[in-house]
Amino acid sequence: MSNQTKSQFVAVASITSELTAVMVVAREISLAAANAKAIAFRAGDKAKGFQPITDFINELAKETIELVTNINVSALLLYRVTVNEYRRTSAYNKFQQAAKLADNAVYAKSMQAPVNNAKLRMEECQRQFKRDVALLLGQLETVMHHARAARVIAANSRIEASQAGEYLQSLQAVAESVDKAAHTIHDNVQRCRRALSVYRNN
Amino acid sequence: MKMIKIYEGSHQWIMFGRDEGKPDKLIDTNQYAVCTANRCLLLEPGGVETFAPMMAALLHFTRVEQITDLFASNPDPDVISSLGLWDQALTNATLHAPAIWEKFLNHYGCDSISYAPIADNGGTIKLDSVELQLIPAHYLYSPGNFHVYDPQAKILMSGDVGAALESPGAPVFVENFAAHIEKMRFFHQRLMPSNQAKRAWIERVRKLDIDILAPQHGRMFRCDDVQRFLDWFDALQVGVAAHI
Repeated sequence: MSNQTKSQFVAVASITSELTAVMVVAREISLAAANAKAIAFRAGDKAKGFQPITDFINELAKETIELVTNINVSALLLYRVTVNEYRRTSAYNKFQQAAKLADNAVYAKSMQAPVNNAKLRMEECQRQFKRDVALLLGQLETVMHHARAARVIAANSRIEASQAGEYLQSLQAVAESVDKAAHTIHDNVQRCRRALSVYRNN
Repeated sequence: MKMIKIYEGSHQWIMFGRDEGKPDKLIDTNQYAVCTANRCLLLEPGGVETFAPMMAALLHFTRVEQITDLFASNPDPDVISSLGLWDQALTNATLHAPAIWEKFLNHYGCDSISYAPIADNGGTIKLDSVELQLIPAHYLYSPGNFHVYDPQAKILMSGDVGAALESPGAPVFVENFAAHIEKMRFFHQRLMPSNQAKRAWIERVRKLDIDILAPQHGRMFRCDDVQRFLDWFDALQVGVAAHI
């Protein structure tokens, strides 16, 4: 297995690992939203501005979970394409080697069709890999948007929390937790994108 | 790679082995091909590493599109880990292998090749007018295992039975049976698990008319050495009975 193939396998496998962490964080946001809703309810008029924000947070968390679930499916498909590409490239190389070794054999020419077919299959797989990488990068970009939106919501939450009197600390903690989670999601997804973008133009 | 024609009549048997280009870390294997006018059956296709030289050697006897049948006595990597490559090279082929290994063997990659599962009691492979018999050899050493007998050529491809660990350039036939025994002893005592399975196989095989006994490793046995081997194996304590 060549170093590039190894890196390709590692890159694709690492996406699943990063996304698992994103999923955990997205669930934490969802929990924070539920917590915030309860506090805002107790705070009544003092946290009036905070109440709609909790719905936004919850919605965002749900969408992120759904997106990441879909991305995980895409990542799994990409892994299968990577395995196929490896198998097909390996077959093409072995067929070429066999054709070369059979140079003086009576039926050497009959190896040409398998070599040509293997080359076509390998190239189709390489194209498929690039298409799937582009698709995955697009999906990851959407998660990044969500992470950015979560940070804006966190900033708004802080402002609203400042007007919540004795509930200030609790609501600020919610805002902090959303902001921290958004950071984590952003960083993890950014790592996925970096790992993949190498293969977009190869 | 050596290519030795061991039978020529209405069809041919060719033995392949002693590949000089094979990495030292791999055990040497014998492959066999049975070729009729239109079809070729490859017995024990071999590992991934030996695919290219094996395919190249076959092209001296047959066209790629005439390789219509593969046979694997058991799922060992040295027997059939090249399956994924054959699967991509052959457009119309069938793999004959023990039924119990079907889902295991598919891990090597088997998409276009159709799997013809061999039931525990054996079966046949028809190759044009040639009919080969699939002789049960379970627990020798694999729990699901078959050997291939050709009544016309009087050849028994005996998988791991009769195998020996040899130096790279060793002759392909046993020349001095007594001297050959020590090369086989460890392999049979350590790998074959059961005297009961061994006796059942010997009883079955003694009824066959065999000119050549052709194992997957080491040298082939011919003429009287076939009988000598059966007698020696019969007397050998193997597996759990050998107290290893």
